[in-house]
Order: sequence, then structure tokens, then C-alpha cells
Amino acid sequence: MSDLNSRSAELAKLLRSLPQEAAAPYGYQEFERRAHERARHARGLAGGERLAAACVLGAVLLAVLVRLGAPGGAARLPATGAAALVRTAPGPEDETLPPHAGLAERWLASLPEEPAIVHVGTRAAVLGLEDRIAQIDDLLGAAGDNGDALARLATLRQERARLVGTLVQVRYAEVLADGSL
Amino acid sequence: MSVSRLATIAVCPQLLARACSGEGAARQALYAQLAPATLSLIRRMVGQRALAEDLFQDTMMIFYERLGQYRHEAPLGAWLHQIAVSRCLMYLRSPWKRARLCLEPVDGGVAAEVAALVTPGYGGELIDLERALASLAPTARAIVWMYEVEGYSHPEIALAFGRSVSFSKSQLARAHARLRMLLEPEVQPPSCLI
Repeated sequence: MSDLNSRSAELAKLLRSLPQEAAAPYGYQEFERRAHERARHARGLAGGERLAAACVLGAVLLAVLVRLGAPGGAARLPATGAAALVRTAPGPEDETLPPHAGLAERWLASLPEEPAIVHVGTRAAVLGLEDRIAQIDDLLGAAGDNGDALARLATLRQERARLVGTLVQVRYAEVLADGSL
Repeated sequence: MSVSRLATIAVCPQLLARACSGEGAARQALYAQLAPATLSLIRRMVGQRALAEDLFQDTMMIFYERLGQYRHEAPLGAWLHQIAVSRCLMYLRSPWKRARLCLEPVDGGVAAEVAALVTPGYGGELIDLERALASLAPTARAIVWMYEVEGYSHPEIALAFGRSVSFSKSQLARAHARLRMLLEPEVQPPSCLI
């Protein structure tokens, strides 16, 4: 044990006898140049980081807007299939109604009763729209019985057509996502 | 207790004051006075030449940036010594950098590393010791140097590495055994040491 200790002490002494100065790898001017270069590089990196952070923030904002349905989001759906019918064709009941409302209604009726669950929000949206359409149908029936003003009838029909259009777009998107078209 | 060469370097107060005020010539004189011992300390701690030069550059940049904050409570060399050691430890403690350090081959091998440290008048025994020291794992080498030459205690080393005191002691014991084995090939390592 004492032998081991003495050898360790000898080793420590030897270590301490090693030179503790090495020639500097470069002079002060070179050090200054490298320091400036590093500072410039660090500034460049910081700029890049800010740009990357801005891009990420922009992407997140865009995703949130798309998810929440930004203004005009529904109108961005492709004007094809049943959605186009609702938007372009004239209606049979009222001149103010969107075109081909009857055709859209028939197309809706041909779809399965239960909406396909494309993602969590679809079913609730479809049911909500169907409920509101049913409410308006009730109001229209009651308005016809009471002989309400024509203006109110027209407003209700327009609202109904708008809701049907929205429903068509949701179901159409559903069908597209389902891959059955 | 052993004290590092760098920690004992005293600097003329007038020179220091001029350097603090940003005078280029004074800063250059400070560099000439402090750089050799600083680089040597960093090289002993991390081993690899290229890495040591990187850390040396970092250390000196921090030193000049913070020179105005120096409060004359310890010799300037000791203050710079603290900066250098903390930069080395930061590197050695980083798991990613530590792994890189272990995986990357030493440029030109141990012999080249040793040759770079050799100064005229070196005895054969010291060359052997340099070679043995260079062959140690980075953490073990740093612990040997901190304990034997820089005068750190085991609790201080444990604190610096964020490990236990027994970690420091066992690393030192293993490093000693390995150094002895390399310096005296007839000495067989104890069976418990890997």
C-alpha cells in the first residue's frame, strides 16, 4: 500500500514537472481577426434563428386560421360537383335563391343518412346545419300559415338556401375525403 | 498544495488599467503574457489540439469582454484560469460533445499531440508521461490534471463535473493505475481495474 502511495506521489510530482506554457498558436492580430469573424458569424446565426422563428410562427398562425375556418374559408372549396350546383344554378321557388337548389337537395337526399366521420368536427357540423335547416322549415311553414310579409319569407328562404349550400359543401368535402367520388 | 502556473501570473496594474480602457498595445501585451499558460492549461484539460485552440479562442474572447468587470480580488491569472477551466468543463460535461471527443480520432495520433507539447530540453521520461497522459480518456485526463497540478480537491472536482466524490476518486485511481501501467510496463493493473 505504501509502495502504491509513494508511486502515486512520484507520478504526481512528475505531472507537476510538465511544462505549463505552450507557444500561443497565433499572435494577437490573428486572435482579433478570429474574434471579429466569430462575432460576425454569431450575428448571422442570430439573424437566421430570428428568421426561422418567424417562419415557424407564420406556419402556426396559418394552421390555426385554417383550423378555425378563416373568413371566406368555405368559399375556397373547389367549385365542382354539388357545391358548384348550389352556388351557380337558379332556384325554382324564389328568384333570390341560389340556382339548382332543388338539385342540391336531391343530391343531399341521395347521400347516406349518417354523415361519414371524416374527422371529429364533421358530424357535429352536419347535425347542426340540419337542425337549423329544420328550424327554418318550421318557420317557413308557420309564416305561410300566418300570411307573413313577403320580405320575411324571402329572408327565410335565402337563409335556408345558404344553410343548404353550406351543408352541401361539408358533405361534398366529406365525400371527397372518403374517396367515394 | 500545487498551484497552476497561470494562476500565479501577476500583471502590472498600469498595464491592466490601460488594457481595461481599450488600449490595443496593452491588450496585446496582456495576450503575450497570458496566452501561453492559458493554452497549455486548456490542452492539458481537453487533449486535442484543434479543440484546445477553439476553447482557447473562446476563453480569450470572454476574458477581454469581461476585463472591465475584473475586481482585483485575485491575481489576473487566477481569474483567467477560472474562465479557462469553466470553458473546458462546460465542454467536457456536454454529453454530445463528450461523445464526439471519444469518437473522433486525434489528429495525427497521440505522437503528434505529444510532439506539439514537447519543448527543447525535455527528458525522455516526460515525453513518455505526455504520451501516457494523452492516451487517457478526456474526463480522466481532466481529473488527473485538476487534482494533481491545479490543486482541486475531490469535492471540488465532483462539484465541477456534477458527479459524486467517489466518482472523482475512482476516476483518479484508475487514471493513476493506467499511467503507471504505461510508464512502467512491468506493473500489472489490479484485477478490479478495467
